Amino acid sequence: MNINLEILKCAYIYAPTQIEELNTKELVPKMVTRRRLTRASKIAIYLNSLCEFEDGRIIFGSAYGELDATSSILNSINSKEQISPTSFQNSVYNTAVSYLSMINKNKNEIMTISNGDNTSLNVLKSGAIKAIDGDTILLMGIETLNIPNIEQINRCINFLECGVALKVRVTNEKATMNIDNTNKNHFPKSIVSMMNIAKNIDTNKKNIIEINI
Amino acid sequence: MTKNKVFITSTSSICCAGENNTELFNNIINSKSGISRETDFFYNSKPAIGKIKSDKTFYENLNIQCQNILNDSELENFHDTLLIVGSSVGGMKYTEDSFFKTSNYKEIDSTQHGIDTTKNILNKNFNFYDDISFSTACTSSANAIGYAYEVLQKGIYKNALVVGIDSLCQTTVGGFLSLGVLSSNPCKPFDVNRDGMNVSEAIACLLLETTQKENSTEVCGVGYSSDAFHMTQPHPDGSQTCMQNALNCANIKYEQIDYINAHGTGTIANDTSEAQSIAKVFKNKPKVSSTKSITGHTLGAAGAIEAIIADMVIQNQTIPTNTFLDDAQNKDINFSNETQNSKVNYILSNSFAFGGNNCSLIFGKVEQNNNEY
Repeated sequence: MNINLEILKCAYIYAPTQIEELNTKELVPKMVTRRRLTRASKIAIYLNSLCEFEDGRIIFGSAYGELDATSSILNSINSKEQISPTSFQNSVYNTAVSYLSMINKNKNEIMTISNGDNTSLNVLKSGAIKAIDGDTILLMGIETLNIPNIEQINRCINFLECGVALKVRVTNEKATMNIDNTNKNHFPKSIVSMMNIAKNIDTNKKNIIEINI
Repeated sequence: MTKNKVFITSTSSICCAGENNTELFNNIINSKSGISRETDFFYNSKPAIGKIKSDKTFYENLNIQCQNILNDSELENFHDTLLIVGSSVGGMKYTEDSFFKTSNYKEIDSTQHGIDTTKNILNKNFNFYDDISFSTACTSSANAIGYAYEVLQKGIYKNALVVGIDSLCQTTVGGFLSLGVLSSNPCKPFDVNRDGMNVSEAIACLLLETTQKENSTEVCGVGYSSDAFHMTQPHPDGSQTCMQNALNCANIKYEQIDYINAHGTGTIANDTSEAQSIAKVFKNKPKVSSTKSITGHTLGAAGAIEAIIADMVIQNQTIPTNTFLDDAQNKDINFSNETQNSKVNYILSNSFAFGGNNCSLIFGKVEQNNNEY
């Protein structure tokens, strides 16, 4: 079965270590809230603003989740120290989009998928299946791997922080672009399918992808 | 578009309260808790948690549950089956064991760390048509069942195997300790004297198909919502909307729900919020109970293990009691205070999670063989 999705808006951002400007102060004016945000949350809020997505369903994907909070917990346990409650509450895979929902008061269905290298492909598939219902959906993929000692395990990823968002709806029109899974720039594989779509968008025409289920 | 009906046609589970479904349900109706106090699981603490009692490894038990489904079903294999995993922590136990040996990330195998660990394990023994893994903390496998319902109803896949799974690890036990919400005794959901939850582990598998089989239970609808309020403090408006969305999806009225299997963790925050929202939606006051005093809170597996419990409540027409509930905080709720045989046509099962992620599922007794509506 094939489902075609029109890309209505898209945004992406990445950096070798840390993305410098995410406009967080403006997007999250309350300091008490801003201080609690994880890196992935800040990226999610930034990408959401670029896609001008106010309200609606979100399908989010991340293979590694909140690695900074997870490593903080691991190191605390290893050192027989108290686990930080904030690290623990921020360690779940749906943290980034949960903060996004709070900031935007988005009370809709917000789903988080984590499926290793296939994560962004799964976000596209599940997004397409849900978009059959007729609404506009935000698809998002984010990885934040910039943690102390990541070099102990990272052997092939060039961009430790990266995120992509696609605002989509179902269309009956023919596809104008293909899903490209090549990874010349060595992004996390979990994000490549969506990142390539976003980078190949032609703003002068309709951009439609065919999702093969 | 044709909308298929969706049925639970086979289930298999293991948790601290039973090595199989029958043992689990017997322990629930006999109020026999699987929770015990552990002195050596996490330093400087004695939390009451729910460990699986088995001479097999956790992942051997995972393969056994899936093989049980295959043996019990009419399927010869899973070649046409979508595997849908719901897990909160994935392979975190493995990651802890690896990291604590060397204090170095170098030896950690990423295929055994993430949420996709379950599918990586299962793919060694079974071949699935496709797979997807959800991780939304304590709603993970409820959302997995909701997704299975959606894709089967829309006719996208032929059948789906939902696996709700989470193993105990120091991250979750220590994490909930740091939040001050772990009890040192089996939990007392909705009681005025409740003092927290019990972290627990489970593997719960459900085969969902569009063709009714003998003793099937129908998945009638799913409701989702986000609180958009706080990472750990639930808001009753979110759960109220979620339950209402499930009723709308199932196209049934609140009066038709006979029993609610509550999220009911035993924490002050969850039970207060959930009871308020149940009281607002269900003016008919259906029976309500939480089975977490028996199973503990199996985190990402909770939605799936409680879907199996709902299936058994319908098949046995028996509503379980609230074990350890002595004095209910919310008097507006019709808490089940004894296990009793009762007519049960529809059940609503709640799952709520960190980040204000909510999922309510509705299950129904199957009366006749009619696969489309």
